[in-house]
Amino acid sequence: MYVELKNINKQFGDFQASRHVSFTIERGQLIGLLGPSGSGKTTILRMIAGLETPDSGDIFIDGVRVNDIPAAKRGIGFVFQSYALFRYMSVFDNIAFGLKVQKKEQAFIQARVTELIKLIGLEGMEKRRPHQLSGGQRQRVAFARALAPNPHLLLLDEPFAAIDAKVRKELRAWLRETITKVGITSIFVTHDQEEAVEVADEIIITHQGQIEQKGTPIDIYRNPKTPFAAKFVGESTEISAYHQLPGFEQVDGFDRAVIRPEFVRMTKVAKEIYPHASGRGVIEDIFFRGNALEVRVDLSGEKITAYQQLDDDAFEVGEEVSVLIHRLYLSNEQEVRMVENLAINHVGSVFI
Amino acid sequence: MKDRIIKTILILIGVLFTFLMLILPLAIVLFYALREGVVMFFSAITEPFAVAALNLTLLSTGITLVVNTVFGMFAAWTITKYRFRGKQVLTALIDIPFSISTVIAGLAFIAVFGRIGWANPITEALNIRIVFAVPGVVLTAIFVTFPFVSRELIPMMQAQGNEEEEAAALMGAKGFYIFRKITLPKMKWGLLYGVILTTARAMGEFGAAAVVSGRLRGRTNTLPLHIEMLFNEFQLTAAFAVSSILVMISVIILILRHVVEHRMKQEEG
Ligand SMILES: Nc1ncnc2c1ncn2[C@@H]1O[C@H](COP(=O)(O)OP(=O)(O)OP(=O)(O)O)[C@@H](O)[C@H]1O
Ligand SMILES: [Mg+2]
Repeated sequence: MYVELKNINKQFGDFQASRHVSFTIERGQLIGLLGPSGSGKTTILRMIAGLETPDSGDIFIDGVRVNDIPAAKRGIGFVFQSYALFRYMSVFDNIAFGLKVQKKEQAFIQARVTELIKLIGLEGMEKRRPHQLSGGQRQRVAFARALAPNPHLLLLDEPFAAIDAKVRKELRAWLRETITKVGITSIFVTHDQEEAVEVADEIIITHQGQIEQKGTPIDIYRNPKTPFAAKFVGESTEISAYHQLPGFEQVDGFDRAVIRPEFVRMTKVAKEIYPHASGRGVIEDIFFRGNALEVRVDLSGEKITAYQQLDDDAFEVGEEVSVLIHRLYLSNEQEVRMVENLAINHVGSVFI
Repeated sequence: MKDRIIKTILILIGVLFTFLMLILPLAIVLFYALREGVVMFFSAITEPFAVAALNLTLLSTGITLVVNTVFGMFAAWTITKYRFRGKQVLTALIDIPFSISTVIAGLAFIAVFGRIGWANPITEALNIRIVFAVPGVVLTAIFVTFPFVSRELIPMMQAQGNEEEEAAALMGAKGFYIFRKITLPKMKWGLLYGVILTTARAMGEFGAAAVVSGRLRGRTNTLPLHIEMLFNEFQLTAAFAVSSILVMISVIILILRHVVEHRMKQEEG
């Protein structure tokens, strides 16, 4: 266990930014801290770095309690949400800063910075000032600057937030690759689940200052432990009258359900396979999403989102279709349960 | 078409107004200063009382600059970096000199340090004279220009935030090193701008100085006070000649100010 937070609480005025935050991180892992805006992600990161002091609880790094160790002595690299590059220094001096503070030899600094500039692919731009770089380039410089003093732990606050969509994808892959290559334990903050899923070994979901769930992306996706996790990860629609959906019945203690697009299959009425398990819906909207169609369908009053492959049957807005929901996440305030469409098995056993 | 006419008229009004109200008076000062010839001009500005007044003005401006630059940086740093109770009040208090007539400021100094003032026994015991002496002139100049540097720095530093300093601290840099390498370069232009405003204001200071200095010729008379005295004695040429020194300094300050403003915009962009 490399990083451990034990029951951390933090209050700003009368606002509780962290409540009973506890989690552990293994050495060498890349962890994504995922949650909506204001859920306390930055606060957690800043407390680990020592820029903020928790009101109660303990933080351990590599077995040492660091609560009373000042930020400067924790050996942590930090990439700020807005990069915070030193605006009056060149790219070279930015990256060299931490090494100069450590009073490293000139030759060593030269070699290390050159190596890092090569790593981030900015050869020839050593003399530029931050404002002469693109967003993606600035991000890389911030990354290299944090890495230069060889930190044990790297913290990145929304490293891609200020970068446009296309570059972001490339940068994500690059970051993932580079962190693996350098082999440094890293935590990055994001509110974009796609980013978290793509980059992180494990995801920690935050919500209103609390940790909702920690696990691998696929695990969180398949087995959301809390109602929030079920709703937040993956595209989802929440409905209350789930027992009216064909193939589902009321389960005691669960008052609502989450439907993900992957749980929904639509076919032309004529091609319906499971009549007992399916309902009739009316197509309300169709959006082209690049590699698939996103279809909004009205199923007796509930608006449900589904995906349609491009080579599947084409629908039109207003068309009546057969809608099969084969799975649901039932939830209440505390728990989540996955249920399958009963009528599918039922039908199968009777007719085949 | 109509737009263009309106635009032309507005520009003309602006130019005319600037010319009548600002440029013409200054030009007239120079004209009167040189009216009785260059020789008279030079004898007026090299006359011992004029030189003494210029020296005192330069001295008091110099001290004011040092004190208010240091204080202004300190105040801006405290107000932007820390959260504390009464911060709003402190910020408002710093602005007091902006909203008080300088004559009243002068009277306040008399009330504190004058013969009837509560601080008089202390200064007397220490054998320092403040009122009707050079220290009083300097103190009022400091008081009057107190807010300029911090007023310039606070919004700028608030906009720039603390993250660069935090980043430096995380890499192990110490307070003063961070200040020298990160903070100072960041506030350089704002600071310079504040310093220029302070200079302009301190050199021209009249009201408070008139009250506190006692206007002792050759001893506590500043340049603006000296000019007014000459004027009251109908030594018009001499008054305008000495004025022209202040005018020239103002022009230099004006140019500096625009250079700094331009650089500030460039660095931001
Ligand atoms: N210094 C502070 N003073 C007062 N409140 C603060 C402070 N820092 C954070 N907060 C509050 O704590 C809450 C959590 O903030 P935090 O920055 O950790 O959220 P976040 O998850 O990083 O959000 P985002 O995705 O928008 O960056 C917010 O409601 C914020 O207003
Ligand atoms: Mg944040």
